[in-house]
Amino acid sequence: MLRFCLRRTAQMVIVVFGVVTLVFFILRIASGDPARLMNPPGQQEEIVQLTREKIGTDRPLMVQYGDYLVRLAQGDLGVSFHGGQPVLDEVLKALPNTAMLAVTTIVFSSTVALILGIGAALRANGAFDRVVLVYVSVALATPSFWLAIVLIMFFAVRLGWLPAIDMEGPQSFVLPVITLAVMLTPVLIRTIRQSFLETLSDDHVRAARARGIPERRVILVHGLKVAALPLITLIGLQLGMILAGSYVVEFIFNWPGIGKLTLNAVAGRNFPMIQGGVLVAALAFVIVNFVVDLTYAALDPRIRLGSK
Amino acid sequence: MTDLSTGGISSEPVTDAAPARTHVLRRLLKRKTFVIGAIGLAIIVLIAAFAPLLAPHDPLKQDLSGGLAPPFWVEGGSSDHPLGTDTLGRDVASRMMYGARNSLVIALFAVLLAAVLGLAAGLSAGFSRGWWDSVLMRLGDMQLAFPFILLAIIVLGVITDRSALHLILVLGIPGWILYARVVRSRVLAERDKDYVMAAKSVGASRTRQRWKYVLPSVWTVVLVIALLDFGFIILVEATLSFLGFGLTPPTPSWGSILAEGRRNMIIAPWLAIFPGLAIMFTVLAINGTADGAADVLDPKLKMGIFRRVHQKKATNVTSTDQGSEDADSIRTNLLATKDETEPSSLLEVRDLSVEFPLEDRVVKAVRHVSLEVDRGQTLGIVGESGSGKSVTASSIIQLIDSPGRVTNGEVLFEGRDLTRIDDNEVAQLRGTKIGMIFQNPASSLNPVLSIGSQMVETIQQLQKVSSANARDMASRVLLDVGIGDPQGILSQYPFQLSGGMNQRVMIAMAMLAQPDLLIADEPTSALDVTTQAQVLEQLIDVTREHQTSLILITHDIALVREYADTVVVLYAGQTCESGPIEAVIQSPKHPYTQALLESVPRADLEPGKRLLAIPGELPDPTDVPVGCPFALRCRYSMDVCSDINPPLDVVGSDRVAACHLDAVPTSKVDAS
Repeated sequence: MLRFCLRRTAQMVIVVFGVVTLVFFILRIASGDPARLMNPPGQQEEIVQLTREKIGTDRPLMVQYGDYLVRLAQGDLGVSFHGGQPVLDEVLKALPNTAMLAVTTIVFSSTVALILGIGAALRANGAFDRVVLVYVSVALATPSFWLAIVLIMFFAVRLGWLPAIDMEGPQSFVLPVITLAVMLTPVLIRTIRQSFLETLSDDHVRAARARGIPERRVILVHGLKVAALPLITLIGLQLGMILAGSYVVEFIFNWPGIGKLTLNAVAGRNFPMIQGGVLVAALAFVIVNFVVDLTYAALDPRIRLGSK
Repeated sequence: MTDLSTGGISSEPVTDAAPARTHVLRRLLKRKTFVIGAIGLAIIVLIAAFAPLLAPHDPLKQDLSGGLAPPFWVEGGSSDHPLGTDTLGRDVASRMMYGARNSLVIALFAVLLAAVLGLAAGLSAGFSRGWWDSVLMRLGDMQLAFPFILLAIIVLGVITDRSALHLILVLGIPGWILYARVVRSRVLAERDKDYVMAAKSVGASRTRQRWKYVLPSVWTVVLVIALLDFGFIILVEATLSFLGFGLTPPTPSWGSILAEGRRNMIIAPWLAIFPGLAIMFTVLAINGTADGAADVLDPKLKMGIFRRVHQKKATNVTSTDQGSEDADSIRTNLLATKDETEPSSLLEVRDLSVEFPLEDRVVKAVRHVSLEVDRGQTLGIVGESGSGKSVTASSIIQLIDSPGRVTNGEVLFEGRDLTRIDDNEVAQLRGTKIGMIFQNPASSLNPVLSIGSQMVETIQQLQKVSSANARDMASRVLLDVGIGDPQGILSQYPFQLSGGMNQRVMIAMAMLAQPDLLIADEPTSALDVTTQAQVLEQLIDVTREHQTSLILITHDIALVREYADTVVVLYAGQTCESGPIEAVIQSPKHPYTQALLESVPRADLEPGKRLLAIPGELPDPTDVPVGCPFALRCRYSMDVCSDINPPLDVVGSDRVAACHLDAVPTSKVDAS
């Protein structure tokens, strides 16, 4: 177990380091000059140069990179190009908003997916199964940003039931969460349905029925305990989708989270802020997946006891 | 990419060769999802290709006085701009047609790039193995450890002047790993096959091997992944355009029209609605095509989006074996006259038929089988794999695997027909009056629940006792079946126990309720030879002790000879003969029974005499022959055997057999 944790930690450090490095160089090579963007068009070259010196982009690339890594190791993410606030503070302010959105989405989507997936598997090819499969294929083809707009137009503009944008109270969660759930549920439903179908035809389910265990218990205890295990891993992997989706959703719903922070930073070529946003996303992704793997091991005795 | 990489693509090696191409197209055209998807996709591609001819206006031509005109069916709209105009007065319909061009071309090239990179990586990794393989695969792991779409957004976001090439590179490159993994595993499966080895030995060059021998088996999988990837990339491209990171304006794309729609969504909702519908329609069409293609080209790659479980209602199935109807009705009549004279026994199965309807054919697993078990007696059911003995057993407790259905006959348990009574009533009999143990003990216990919790659950199902009491009862029954340390076993999981231990647990659980009937389906075949005898003895002991009737299902006639009172011999889902065990062993009335007896090693066999194997195979259960199913393998086969299926005849006291021979000649073992 300890070896597993150490190996995974090393792997996480490598992945995060790789991503951070990639972003650092992509920004400085592919992007235009942020200093010029920060000045009005046609500004004198001397003044632009002053800006460059102020934000540090005048130095050689490798010096900037070394400096960045040294500060990063000390927990210093630098300061914003615009306004000079510490990036760490801004990121920490935005993180809970994205986390709340993500957690609500995961809880809501898993519940919906469990109900629909199990229902579809129990009567495979029945009417309910077909309706669910139609939902899955339509949801899979629906662009999330388009859905968000349609939802706003209908529920906020036409009916006036829910706030269109901004984060103000529990109602604000409804539309963003639905948008993200439509993106997330098709994959979850498909997996649960498939894994449930397979489990229901397992020998042990038949043997449980042969022992006279009632059908409800066979499904909810014997079936679910085995069939839900893949769901846990899947949610970890789908966090990437949720993070990517939150860029779009936060942008549309003006949600003060990591996604909006990163997109605004991209628009303004605010290098430290972009790096901060990506670093948080990368850390969240690898840490959540590590926790997911540990949870999986704890829930499955074959792994928990087998590795001793 | 996340979606595809977790969507259930199996990367396990596939060994079967690619299906013959001539049939592929025909089978594809039979798939509704494929046909509808392909037609939809063709329409979109045609519109995109002929946009300059079809579009009513120049997509870039501005008309500031005619900005934000609504579609023609809304008041104020005109047929000149059927889908209205945007803020700059540009025609939305025309912009969408041209937008389709950009979206499709960018996605197409991105997919091609990913496929070519992935194919090259997969082939080279698979063939070289060694360090190059590990470098590529580690790189892939790293990439999958981070959602690359986030990087794509940032990369495109900071590029000031985005061309189509930028989009293609950013969208295409990360996709390589999807193809590389699957291709690599196929290459590994393929490279050791005989024909590739043979090509190597006659000196075919490495490149030749790759292209000629391995590519045919990977092209289908690459095609299917590419189609799925295509839909996904169209969505991502639209998302990027929407965020303002797509093609630099004013070049139209669906996403950029949408982005403008968002800014004007209150006054001009149509700007947002139409491009979204176009994207949805396109991706649906692509996914439908991909899924239909996956079913036909590469069943192992099924994504399950539109997939059907191969299942039909049993009522839709019509019997096709007209030829054997006569013999069947004779059987039925024979049995009908028989049961009027006899009192009902504990279990009586009459004229049972079970069918498994598949998509285009019907597996007739059990055909008109009858058997009975008296109280306290042991019935042996003998037959080789596929003879229908397990299906017969599971139909007794009404647990036939889907999509199997009882299509004829009845299962009378204490006089009640279990095929007709309510599901709940059957469920109440299971585990109380009828117990069953299965062939594979390890997989018959829930892998993630401890032995104790499964036993306690079963006990509490039978009577209201506290968990502690239930645990005590569980340890007592475990002692009964010869488990020395029941407390220790209770806290363990099935995977920690040996097969013999698991089977003892299964026996103990089945015997908890002291059922009247225990069905043991090949209870020891999955066990080590050394534990087989012990477990079987244990099983016989507990059933005798509790006066439980036993149905012992096995392929080993020697076991039946030792433990059973009566025997039923099944072949290809039909009864060959049945009767009291001693009589059947002494003078088999069916050549198959005789052959089974000859194939058993015996102590009394004189040295120099050989055991006989039965040549040939069981007939195809979806296409049973008109005549006797055993005719092709029977050493006494006559002309009549291949034409008429022999009816079951009474051949002695309590004995029936289905054979055209008046008497089976004495065993030929000695003669040979």
